[in-house]
Amino acid sequence: MLVTETVLHLGPELERAVNRMDFFRLFKSLAGSHGFSYFGVTEVVSDEQGINLQHVHALHNLPASWFEDPKLQVIDARDPVFVRLQQSSAPCVMDLGQTPSEVLGCSGSDTVVIVPLHAATGKRYCLILVGGDAKPDHQALALIALDAALIFQRYFEVILSLDSISGLSDREIQIVRWTSEGKTSAEIAIILGLSEHTVNSYIAAVLRKLHVVNRAQMVASAIRSGLIT
Amino acid sequence: MSSQQDGTLLKVLLVDDDPAEHVLLKRKLKTAEDASIDLEYVSDIGGAVERVKAGGVDMVFLDNRLVPNNDFRETAPQLRSAGFIGPIGIISSDISGRYFEKFREFGVDFKIGKDEIDGTVINFILKEYTLDQLSETCSEDFL
Repeated sequence: MLVTETVLHLGPELERAVNRMDFFRLFKSLAGSHGFSYFGVTEVVSDEQGINLQHVHALHNLPASWFEDPKLQVIDARDPVFVRLQQSSAPCVMDLGQTPSEVLGCSGSDTVVIVPLHAATGKRYCLILVGGDAKPDHQALALIALDAALIFQRYFEVILSLDSISGLSDREIQIVRWTSEGKTSAEIAIILGLSEHTVNSYIAAVLRKLHVVNRAQMVASAIRSGLIT
Repeated sequence: MSSQQDGTLLKVLLVDDDPAEHVLLKRKLKTAEDASIDLEYVSDIGGAVERVKAGGVDMVFLDNRLVPNNDFRETAPQLRSAGFIGPIGIISSDISGRYFEKFREFGVDFKIGKDEIDGTVINFILKEYTLDQLSETCSEDFL
């Protein structure tokens, strides 16, 4: 069982987090330990794009039913949550009863916690907690912000920063090598004793690291770089 | 991982030596609003190997310790050796052991504590592990 107070500050579960599922568990644990049912972490891009919790790199446990209405798929520039994120880099507790949010209003509760997060590269993200009855005081908000920053830092290092990482892991090189032999993901999965999903995850990571868009380019780039012969 | 994409139920195989866990998981699945799952149950790894060899299983939830086996490091590779290439998730009442750090080396896709599983977790697992992470330009046809 995840015990947030000890786990997040002291680190074992945080250090062991290696995939999106692990980070989903950590953020969910953080939300739950402060009385919130739902969380969402995503990038804050621009006024035009708003906050898209359905983005492929977003992480959340919000019910799909909240996003069924096409108009409510993005927290847009007029939404008070987005406005707050544009105006302040400090974590805050917002009362949706006073400043209604169309998307987050689906939670049925008035309290939303907003934690702006910043990657070392300058990219902006945010953590949103909703679906809780209690309104966190300053001390609780400070703890939420600290844990959120710790989890996010690790999440960025392990998952989000692949674009700027050079070099491939041994496993990634193995998979590029087998791809260069003409093997499909399913075949590589059988050869290496992995799931096809894991093989595709590695390929997706290599594509991002090498800044290429398909398998042929990936193999060509790996050969040019001397990663495989 | 095509079952949900073509509109049919996702076949999930639960491998756990405690039949009560099957009942508990079925109850939790009912709370997952987005889940379209056909849950099957076997109590040992031998049965699981036979079942995945028969085909049609999309995902396996594998209890960490199955008597008389040790832990997932002994059981998960058996499913891979049987040719199963779908996601394997380890479920356990205690996932704090250091050996869990290396779960991917044993062909496991994710780990989750039994007490962490609820409707939102199941929804996330299904979405995460049935979603194709690669764009169309990276399909096998482009090889």
